Amino acid sequence: MPRRHILTPPRKKVTSNKPMLSAHLVRSLYSKSDRVRNFCMNPETREIAMNLKNFLAFVGPSVLAMVGLIAVPLLGVAYLSIHSSHVETELVEVKSVVPLFGGLTKTTIEKVPQPVLDENGHPIKVWEYVGRRNFDTVADPGGLVEAVRKDRSKTAEGQPTSFRQRMYGIYRDVTDVNFWGALEFTLLYAFITTPFILVLGFILAMLVNNVVKWARGPLIFCSLLPHIITPVVGSLSIYWLFLDNAIVAALLEQLGAGKVYFLKDAFSIRTLIILYGVWHTTPFAFVILYAGLQTVPQDSLQAAEVDGANYWQRIRYIIIPHLTALFSFIILIHLMDAYRIFEPVLVFGSNLFANSLQYLTYYILNFEDNYYKAAASAILTVIGICILLLPILRRTYREQKGVA
Amino acid sequence: MKVILTIAMAAALLIVPAMVTADCNIQGTGEVNVISNSYPSLEIIAAAMKECNQGGVKVGFKLTKEHREETMQAFAAAKCPYDIAQGSNSTIAPLQTDGLLRPMNDLVDKYRDKYKIEDAMLIKIGKEVYAIAFQVNAQHLFYRKDLFEKHNIAVPTTYDEVLAVAEKLKAEESIQFPLGGTYKSGWNLAQEFMNIYLATGADIFKPGTAMPAYNSEKGVQTLELMKKLMDYMSPNALALDTTAVMQQFQQGQIAMANLWASRAVKMDDQAESKVAGKVEFAQAPSMVKGGPPATTLWWDGFFMAQNMDGDPDLAFKIMMQGLSEDVVKANNDATIWLRSAYKPGRYSAGAYASAMAGAPPYPMQPQISMVHAGLGNNIGDFLAGKETARESLADAEKAYINAAKEKGYIK
Repeated sequence: MPRRHILTPPRKKVTSNKPMLSAHLVRSLYSKSDRVRNFCMNPETREIAMNLKNFLAFVGPSVLAMVGLIAVPLLGVAYLSIHSSHVETELVEVKSVVPLFGGLTKTTIEKVPQPVLDENGHPIKVWEYVGRRNFDTVADPGGLVEAVRKDRSKTAEGQPTSFRQRMYGIYRDVTDVNFWGALEFTLLYAFITTPFILVLGFILAMLVNNVVKWARGPLIFCSLLPHIITPVVGSLSIYWLFLDNAIVAALLEQLGAGKVYFLKDAFSIRTLIILYGVWHTTPFAFVILYAGLQTVPQDSLQAAEVDGANYWQRIRYIIIPHLTALFSFIILIHLMDAYRIFEPVLVFGSNLFANSLQYLTYYILNFEDNYYKAAASAILTVIGICILLLPILRRTYREQKGVA
Repeated sequence: MKVILTIAMAAALLIVPAMVTADCNIQGTGEVNVISNSYPSLEIIAAAMKECNQGGVKVGFKLTKEHREETMQAFAAAKCPYDIAQGSNSTIAPLQTDGLLRPMNDLVDKYRDKYKIEDAMLIKIGKEVYAIAFQVNAQHLFYRKDLFEKHNIAVPTTYDEVLAVAEKLKAEESIQFPLGGTYKSGWNLAQEFMNIYLATGADIFKPGTAMPAYNSEKGVQTLELMKKLMDYMSPNALALDTTAVMQQFQQGQIAMANLWASRAVKMDDQAESKVAGKVEFAQAPSMVKGGPPATTLWWDGFFMAQNMDGDPDLAFKIMMQGLSEDVVKANNDATIWLRSAYKPGRYSAGAYASAMAGAPPYPMQPQISMVHAGLGNNIGDFLAGKETARESLADAEKAYINAAKEKGYIK
C-alpha cells in the first residue's frame, strides 16, 4: 500500500482540505446505477442486455422450479386453510381391553366418540368450506380484543391501578393469547438479532480480510461452522451447555459466580435463544460481506487515502456505501429466517417463556391433528413475512426503477 | 472411502442391539411396509421383521421419531403407503375413530397357535382387535436407596409422604435437590398433570360427554401439589425433559423422581451413571393412602391400515415374526415385554408394582391428545407464577374445546 501511495499522483480536482467531498465524489462515480446505465448504453454490451431469448433461457428453469415447488404447494396450503374436514362421530359406550402387565388386562367401559357409518358401512366424512374460520381461531382476534378491553381499573385487592400496572396487564393478557404471544417473541427475536448479526458479521469480515492470505481459508471455514450446524443440533448444544451443572453453569460456579439457572425464567431463556440466533446467523452475514469486500474498488480506497481519509472514514464513506445492497440482502434473508424461528423454541421448554409462530403451526399440526388450521397458521406466517419485508422490497423496487 | 465405510459399518453394528437369530421362513410374494417410532426395542423388532426380506417377500421398515404425524396422514390416504404401523394409547384412538384401522380378529384366530398370540397382547375396542401390543411403559418412583437408608427414610407411597421425605432430604449435602420431575412445559408437563389428576379419582370429561371436567377443585388441587413439588426441584424444572431428569439422577444431583420405566436400566449404566446400583424402583406415589398410583400405563403395539394395498395375511405374518417369543427371549432386558416369556427383573419392579396397585391405562379417546396439548400449553403459566391455577385451567379448557369443536367431537 505505501508504495502505491507514492506512485499515485494527487488529483487536482480535489482540494486537500475537503477529504469528505472527495469521498462522496468517488462513491458516486462507482454507484451501481451508473454502472448499469453504462452497461445498457454502450453499443457493445447493449445487445446482451436486450436479448430476451437469452434472458428467458437463463431465468426460465428457475421460474418453472419456483412455480412447481413454491407457488403450487402454497396454493394447495391456501386451499386447505379455508376448508375443514372430520369424520362424523357420536358418543357410544365402548368396552375396551388393554394389557397391563404380566398377562393381566384392564377393561374399561366409557363413552368414546365412534364413527357414524353410511349405508355401505363406511364412516361419513364431513368436508366443508369454512371461509376465514381457521384464520380466526388461529389469530383469535376476539381474544385480542377481550384482552385489551378487560377492565383493569382496580387490582384484585380493590385498589385503583396505576397507568403502568394497566399497561403491564394489557401486555400480559395479550401475550397470553397464543398467536399474539408467539408473534411478540418472533418479532422480538427478528429485530434484536438483525443489528447484531450485521455488525458482528461486518467486523468479522473486516478482520478476516485484513489477516495474511494463508490464514484466511481456515479462518473462513471455522467462522462458517455455526451456520453449517443443523439448527436443531445447534439449539440442543446450547440447551445442554446451559442445563443444571452443564459446562457453562459449572464453570460459572467454579469462578465463584454461585449457582446460575439459565432456564428458569423468560428473560434468561429469551436471552439464550437470541444469543443462539446471533451465533448461528452471523457467519451467513460474514460470508456475504466478506465476498462483498473483495469487490471494493481498490483505486477509490487509494484515492481516499491520498486525500487524507483515515481508516474510519474509508470504512464509513467507501466500504459501507459499497456494501449497502448486501446489507439489505442480509436483512431481507435474515428477517425471513427469523420469522420462521422454530428449533430453539422447541428445545428450550417449548412455549412457556418464548413462543414462536412456527412452533404454533407445528403444535396445531402435531397435537391438535388439524391440518386445515395448521394450513391457516402457515398462511398467516407467509403474510407476516410479506408485511415484514414490504419496506425493504419497496426500496429495492424503487432502486431498480431508478435504473430503468 | 474404504475407511469411512468400515467405520460406518462398525457404527451400524453397535447401534443395532443384540441381533436376532430367529430364522424367518415365511413364503409368499409381496411387499410389506412398516413405520414406527425409533428406540432400542423397536430396532430389535425391525431387525427381526427384516429377516423375512427374502424370496418373493420384500419388507420395508421405516424407523422415525416423526412416526405419529406420518402415520396419521398415511393411514388417511386412499392407498396407504404403509401396511403396518407402530403406535400407542394416544395414536390408536384417533385412527380407530376415523375408521382407518383394519380389525385383525380373523388373522388372530387363524394364527393364534402358530405365533403363540396371547390374550394379554390384544388391544380390543368393542369386539374388534385393533392392535397387537408388545411392551408397556409407565412412570414410577425412582429413589436413591443409599440416601434413604442413611437418613432412615421409608419409601413414600403417597405424595404427602413424598413432600415430607423431600423436606428431610434438603439437609443431605451430596445432592442438590431432593426431587426431580419431567416438568418440561408442553407434553411432559401435561403428562404429569394427567398422572396426578387421574389419581385424585376425578374424570377428565363430564360423564357421558366430551366436555372437559378438569377446570375444577380437583384440577386446582393437582396444580397446587405440582407447585409444592416444584419447590424441591431445580429452578430449571420447567425446561427439563425425561432425558435431563435421567441425567440429574445419573449425576447424583437428585434423590427421587417419577420417571419412565424405560429409563431404569440407564441408572446402572456404568459409562453414564455415577449412582450405578444405588437406585431402586417403587410404585408411583398415590394421592391418598391405598388409592391408585399417580401414573398411567402406556402400551406400544402394531396395527394395520384399513386402506393397505398389500396382502393382510402376509403383513400379519411379518408383524408376528417381529413380535415372536424368540425375539423376547433373546432380548429380555431391552424393555418390559408383554409376552409371558418375559422374565421381569429389577428394572420392571416399579411398573409392575404400579400396575398391581391399580394404575389406570392412559385414556384411549380420540380427543385426549387435544386435552393433553391444551394442558401442556397452558398450565405452565401457573407453575411459572404468571397466572392463577384457575386462569391457566380455564385457558387449557378453552384451547381443548376449540380444537374438539373443529374436529366434531363437541357439537
